[in-house]
Amino acid sequence: MNCFKTLVNGIVKENPTFVLLLGMCPTLATTSSALNGMGMGVATMFVLICSNVFISLLKNVIPDGVRIPCYIVVIASFVTILQMLMQAYVPSLYQTLGIFIPLIVVNCIILGRAEAFAAKNNVLQSLCDGIGIGLGFTIALTLLGMVRELLGKGAFFGHQVLPESMNMLVFVLAPGAFITLGLLIALVNSIKNRKAE
Amino acid sequence: MKKLESNLKNMAVVLTVISVVAAGLLAWVNGVTKTAIDRINEQTVADGIKSVTIGDSDVEFTVAAPQEKNGFIFHKVSDAAGNTIGTAVESTDHNGFGGDLKVMVGFGPEGEILGYKVLQHSETPGLGAQADDWFRQASTDQAAQSGFASFLLGAPAKAGNHNIIGMNPGDDMLTVSKDGGEVDAITASTITSKAFLRAVNAAYKELFGYTAADGVSGASSQN
Repeated sequence: MNCFKTLVNGIVKENPTFVLLLGMCPTLATTSSALNGMGMGVATMFVLICSNVFISLLKNVIPDGVRIPCYIVVIASFVTILQMLMQAYVPSLYQTLGIFIPLIVVNCIILGRAEAFAAKNNVLQSLCDGIGIGLGFTIALTLLGMVRELLGKGAFFGHQVLPESMNMLVFVLAPGAFITLGLLIALVNSIKNRKAE
Repeated sequence: MKKLESNLKNMAVVLTVISVVAAGLLAWVNGVTKTAIDRINEQTVADGIKSVTIGDSDVEFTVAAPQEKNGFIFHKVSDAAGNTIGTAVESTDHNGFGGDLKVMVGFGPEGEILGYKVLQHSETPGLGAQADDWFRQASTDQAAQSGFASFLLGAPAKAGNHNIIGMNPGDDMLTVSKDGGEVDAITASTITSKAFLRAVNAAYKELFGYTAADGVSGASSQN
């Protein structure tokens, strides 16, 4: 399997949001606007890439019996580093994403990829997988945020494009997240099926 | 390289080494970012004091050294002639939706609210996190919400108010309308709204000794 294939695999075939349906909590909670979704996606991608590379490097040193605690320590360290960096250099995004930054630790995509991919493959492959899955997650969250922001607030990346009377607040709230996600998954599946025929 | 065997010695050593390295790395990053974070926090407080008392005007002003009392921090702001413009109070409520909600409220000499700023929160993005804008915006024109939106959400019962600027917690009931107060809660974020208003009322009470919401705040603080 070459690197490019791993990368595309993460974005399309094993897209964490639309295909694997992993990490639903941050997906639904932070996508009330396109920028929030994108910020969350990029933050998760950073942690995913770092943890994938390190776990792949350490895979032979870590005994099987303590692999989960070891992975969690690695992941939690990167999340804490990210949290401190964001607080210092992008405080506004840090304020918006708030509680969901520390919660990246328990995002099942990251532990899932550590266990399913990084623990079995070499460093380069794991790096590509991290980038691929990370990009897939970011694209999905941005897309979801875009639709919800457009329908709920009539805005596109913070710029008002539709009159306020057309806003459907429900799309910014939690139920709108489920509805939008469901429709997007249906759309992705229908495109895939058409391609397969 | 062969995978290390899972015996007690290997497991203990590996986990310890990884933890120690991680702790060292975190300590280092903390050292690098601490000054930047402290500077941003100080800046937030300094900006906050200005924005909640004199707002955008260019009046020359001085801020007295902060005074701390019962967990509240007071910053007294005076103009160039020494007259009091108002007091900025840092107040924290511990029962926000995501934990602590720290706000700064500016009160004029009579107790009217000059401005406020959310300094720190853990509220939900897109919902409770709107508190920084919500309580200063003029109410949305309920009549404008027509057609599909009102079909989907139901017609609003009455035109509410959620702009607290200019209100005086000593005379006005600064609680959410559900509790009989005069302020509309953030849509779908009643807990955040209650926490926010509790923080404002507590700050006022510490400064002036009483609030109009005293009778109600006891009941609303239970959830």
